[in-house]
Amino acid sequence: MFAGTIVFALINSFILILMAIGFNLTFGISGVANFAYGALYIMSAYMSWTMLNLLHLPFWASAVLSIGFTMISGALMYRFVLLRVRGQALSEVIATFGIGLAILELFRYLGLVGFEYTLPVFSNESFMIAGAYVDIQRIAIVLIGLLLVLGLWLFTHFTATGLAFRAIAQDERTALTFGIDSDWAATLSVSFGAGLAAIAATIIIPLGSIAPDEGYDVLIKALAICIIGGLGSTGGVIVAGFIVGFAERFTDTYIGSHWTMIVSLAAILLVLAIKPSGLFGRQKELEERI
Amino acid sequence: MPVPEALLGLEKIILEKKPTALMVGPFRSEALIAGMDIIAKYKVPLLGTIAMAPGSEKKIKEEPQKYKYVFRTCLNAVHLVKFLSGTMGAINKQFGFNKVYVMTQDVAWARATADLVKKLYFDKSGWTVLGMESYPTGTSDFSSALMKARAQGAQVIMPVFDMPQSGTLVKQWNTMKVPAIMAGFISPLAGSEAWKIFDGKIGGVLNTTFELGSAMAASKLPASTNFMQKYQKKYGQEIQAGHGPAPSYESVYILKEAIERTGSLDPDAIVAGLEKTDRQGVMGRIRYDAGHQAVYGFDPAETGVSLVSQWTDSGKRIVVFPDSLAENAIQLPTGLKSAK
Repeated sequence: MFAGTIVFALINSFILILMAIGFNLTFGISGVANFAYGALYIMSAYMSWTMLNLLHLPFWASAVLSIGFTMISGALMYRFVLLRVRGQALSEVIATFGIGLAILELFRYLGLVGFEYTLPVFSNESFMIAGAYVDIQRIAIVLIGLLLVLGLWLFTHFTATGLAFRAIAQDERTALTFGIDSDWAATLSVSFGAGLAAIAATIIIPLGSIAPDEGYDVLIKALAICIIGGLGSTGGVIVAGFIVGFAERFTDTYIGSHWTMIVSLAAILLVLAIKPSGLFGRQKELEERI
Repeated sequence: MPVPEALLGLEKIILEKKPTALMVGPFRSEALIAGMDIIAKYKVPLLGTIAMAPGSEKKIKEEPQKYKYVFRTCLNAVHLVKFLSGTMGAINKQFGFNKVYVMTQDVAWARATADLVKKLYFDKSGWTVLGMESYPTGTSDFSSALMKARAQGAQVIMPVFDMPQSGTLVKQWNTMKVPAIMAGFISPLAGSEAWKIFDGKIGGVLNTTFELGSAMAASKLPASTNFMQKYQKKYGQEIQAGHGPAPSYESVYILKEAIERTGSLDPDAIVAGLEKTDRQGVMGRIRYDAGHQAVYGFDPAETGVSLVSQWTDSGKRIVVFPDSLAENAIQLPTGLKSAK
């Protein structure tokens, strides 16, 4: 059972990393804490479901189109709302949270709640790994998670856009002197973050169902992972994903399932108490702020 | 919706619509129990068909004159416990299984139901309860409990869930090939559409339908079959909810008969008429007890009935409990062996 718990803890870790990586990318580059992130995650899932079930498009076409539409939604959100409050952290949070709330509560108002709202799994097969049967969908989550992290690293280190992202993240004013348009980079970062949320939804939602409440859960989990890892740090997200992912599964197995929900919240409190900027965060330390 | 808002809504309906009687009623028991004072204040008979906590019956028994306007036509939690216990008894009798792992949603009614089945049945009938886990609403990974159930040799897994994600538990039970029969209550598995929604991974599961005629009929009670057929003809689709539709349908006739019986629209007269209800309908025979709860049991000729059906590997639901409605005996899922 111990080996099986490790396998499912690994899967849980990648689920958390996938949930958080888009939020982290946006914050790391533009400094925007996108509180509409969970709503974009759910919106993309509903779009996929609609195209799949009402327009009868193939799953992959639905997924690609919904990811594309979600990215466009993120870009539009930045250009028409966030650009006007850029740099005012509280206004950005209020604006994005308001947008997220409106999206999720609209879905609830439309009655899009129920077990029939789900997405299909890639395959119904399962394999024995370390003494436990694991389904293909969960294996795919790990593989896609690895590919995304690797792809993101390659993108930010070897493409002009990625390097511009890193430049803005490191020092926006200096980047401006090199001719990098920070608004353009920020628009792309919100768009890419939304796209990563949509990719996560496409592969994680088949394990459960699409529900407005899930949007709030995803936002809380993304925040928890990013705060523990250090806002804006991709490495931090990965490490925090593993810490919380393993802690949740081991708590579930050896202490009790009803304690799992407090693990990530307790981890936030602990990290904030010991290292306020997160494990790998480069935000100002408490003493600097004072 | 918070309880205070639900109460405001209830009072608004009574004041603006001035109904002779109310049907279905608050969804959550908390709202029903708190709303009983409003119903008593305006003296509007209510035939509830969703909220299940027996607390409302207690209030009626304590102050019958004040709260007599509230009736419940649907199943209550006490009767659900009786049905779950009966299902476990049938499994034990047929296969000799007596090791169970209990998994519930982390909400009051589900935990209370599981605790009562443990206290009133498992502990008294020689069963071993290997574990009791409760999961927050929204959970979509049940691997830890399923691994524990396998490792500890559970023969039965008893789930009690009404959240959409609970179908995932069954899918994971299927893909993790846990050698235990799954028998209990998982709301998303009630309707015929569940087979498609859950990718056909629910074969072998035993699921409770709260009221006969809600999501499922039994060929041994033609009234329930007729109701399902008429619904499908009118709305072009089958009923998918396993709790609510049949008692709501029945409540209309129960109210009509009560008014005809007394020949009055006076609320006290209607209540008196409702108390004399003795109707044979789609859920079996409906009579109200002293707490104004419709009486449920195992024989539709005598009481209202719930039913337990089993999903086959070909995507059909077969009624397996109670004996009075059963179309077939419980079948063990593929690969599982009887302990007898």
